[in-house]
Amino acid sequence: MKKQSNRQFAKALYEITKDLPKKELSEAINQFIFILQKYNKLKKTDYIIEEFINYSKKQEGIKTIIIESVTKLENLTLAKIKKMFGEDSEITENINKNLLGGIKIRVDDMVYDASVKLQLKNLKEKLIS
Amino acid sequence: MSTNNIVEELKKNIAHFQKETAKEETGEVIEVGDGIARISGLSKCQAGEMLEFPGDVFGLALNLEEETVGCVLLGNYEHIKEGDIVKRTNKILSVPAGEELIGRVVNSLGIAIDGGKEIKTLKFYPIEKIAPGVMTREPVTQPVQTGIKAIDAMIPIGRGQRELIIGDRQTGKTAVAIDTIINQKGKDMICVYVAIGQKESKIARIVAKLKETGAMDYTIVVVAGASAPAALSYIAPYAGVAMAEYFMDQGKDVLCVYDDLSKQAWAYREISLLLRRPPGREAYPGDVFYLHSRLLERACRRNKESGGGSITALPIIETQASDVTAYIPTNVISITDGQIFLETDLFYRGIRPALNVGISVSRVGGAAQIKPMKKVAGKLKLAMAQFREMEAFAQFASDLDPETKKQIERGQRITELLKQPQYQPVAVEDQVVSIFAVNNGYFDDVAVKDVSAAEKKLTDFMGKAKRSLLDKIANGEWDEKVEAELKSICKSV
Repeated sequence: MKKQSNRQFAKALYEITKDLPKKELSEAINQFIFILQKYNKLKKTDYIIEEFINYSKKQEGIKTIIIESVTKLENLTLAKIKKMFGEDSEITENINKNLLGGIKIRVDDMVYDASVKLQLKNLKEKLIS
Repeated sequence: MSTNNIVEELKKNIAHFQKETAKEETGEVIEVGDGIARISGLSKCQAGEMLEFPGDVFGLALNLEEETVGCVLLGNYEHIKEGDIVKRTNKILSVPAGEELIGRVVNSLGIAIDGGKEIKTLKFYPIEKIAPGVMTREPVTQPVQTGIKAIDAMIPIGRGQRELIIGDRQTGKTAVAIDTIINQKGKDMICVYVAIGQKESKIARIVAKLKETGAMDYTIVVVAGASAPAALSYIAPYAGVAMAEYFMDQGKDVLCVYDDLSKQAWAYREISLLLRRPPGREAYPGDVFYLHSRLLERACRRNKESGGGSITALPIIETQASDVTAYIPTNVISITDGQIFLETDLFYRGIRPALNVGISVSRVGGAAQIKPMKKVAGKLKLAMAQFREMEAFAQFASDLDPETKKQIERGQRITELLKQPQYQPVAVEDQVVSIFAVNNGYFDDVAVKDVSAAEKKLTDFMGKAKRSLLDKIANGEWDEKVEAELKSICKSV
């Protein structure tokens, strides 16, 4: 039989705990730990927890946003970005002087690039061709 | 232009420049090595799509899995590391196609590697394309003259046919293909020579030879040398046929040589094993048949309504110790419309090209021959078949009845006549004349070793004195008058 991956355990944990009332939760967790022990997966708990967090975020539509900009953004701008991609998304801010200006936003797989660096690159390509 | 003008022009250009926000789908490299990268993300990636890695390296997405995408890298991958951002390009891998490619040596991506200037074509053709369907095709009727007597007479190849050249190493497989390309001069054919996994020195020699004979004027050479990554060897024949399809769409006839497909299958096996696809027979993946069938199906002859044009394919397969029952040779034999067998013993017996005419076949047959050739070749085939049966008795020549003896003598002379040095293709009308002469017994009183000299004398005389008759034959005219005239000439020479 194929070995179960950490992801599958995380997925299973998410499915059983999704609509569970609070008092049954501890019992469910207990059972889950028994299963982990049975499959010899206790030492992988950290990875399973990590997968669980990622998976539940994805299921509940919480987006991870990474913003790159040259200077620190104002709160107003941040609020606007949050409004665009969903209020409960997690935002990480990075300072990147290489962009020269503007911002670059990464939402999960999509990258929205509005940096001066890209504009200059496009301009260069247009002038060459 | 003065400085001011330039500044004005520049200002105008910049004023028109629209700034826009780029929206890109990206993924992250999670594993890279052996020319393979595994990428997370890229959830909307298509199969066969080009992916852009940092440093202008491209990859070809092959495995689409739940969380990851497996892709092969088409270029240097030393600088790519875990965590690098990979972008989608939304383009299926394509190669440049156009007249500009003719006379050039390019790699599998259509980039010039002959030191010449950059190739800029208007059009790009996708390397993977479904072959033309039934309704757009028509039967093969026009010949491809290879210039090799044995092939043109007994194993004729037509425009749009797929004829496999198969044999051990060092039996002259490439020589047959190169002679065919050289012989296409002035025949309104574009040739594409795809070298897969060949030694660079060999490729250099071939290109030099093609240049020397003027064949580069209508030839494109696509190279994925022995040092190129497996991914480039794998896509090279598809790139070659994509370039050929451009010319077919212009209504032209194209000849595609794939030298050789066994190395391409090796490259594909390497990629598949690295991508962890399950291995099958001889460790080739399950779809190795489809690998070659979809390539060779793209060789076709299209009818007028669909734009005409044709692609003739000459795939080459190298066998190990004459084992044609190995996986790849049987596959390709079953796909093609015939095969030319080259054998080591024949080669060392001095019969070059080392064709085994007994087991070589062309399933298109006489439909792809001009009328005079059809007339003379029938007799030749019969004589050769009889000779092969009697050959074993040749050493008891003194004890044989006159009829058998005659057949053996005739066979020896035909074998001698079909020998031909490399890079010296013979025009079809000359072939008809010499075969006619040997069929009618005009060489019977010439010693076997003098046959080629006698043939040369005959064709030289024809070329000098009877040009109009030769032109007639070349145009496919054949009647009693022509026959009678040929007979009288043969008698006198």
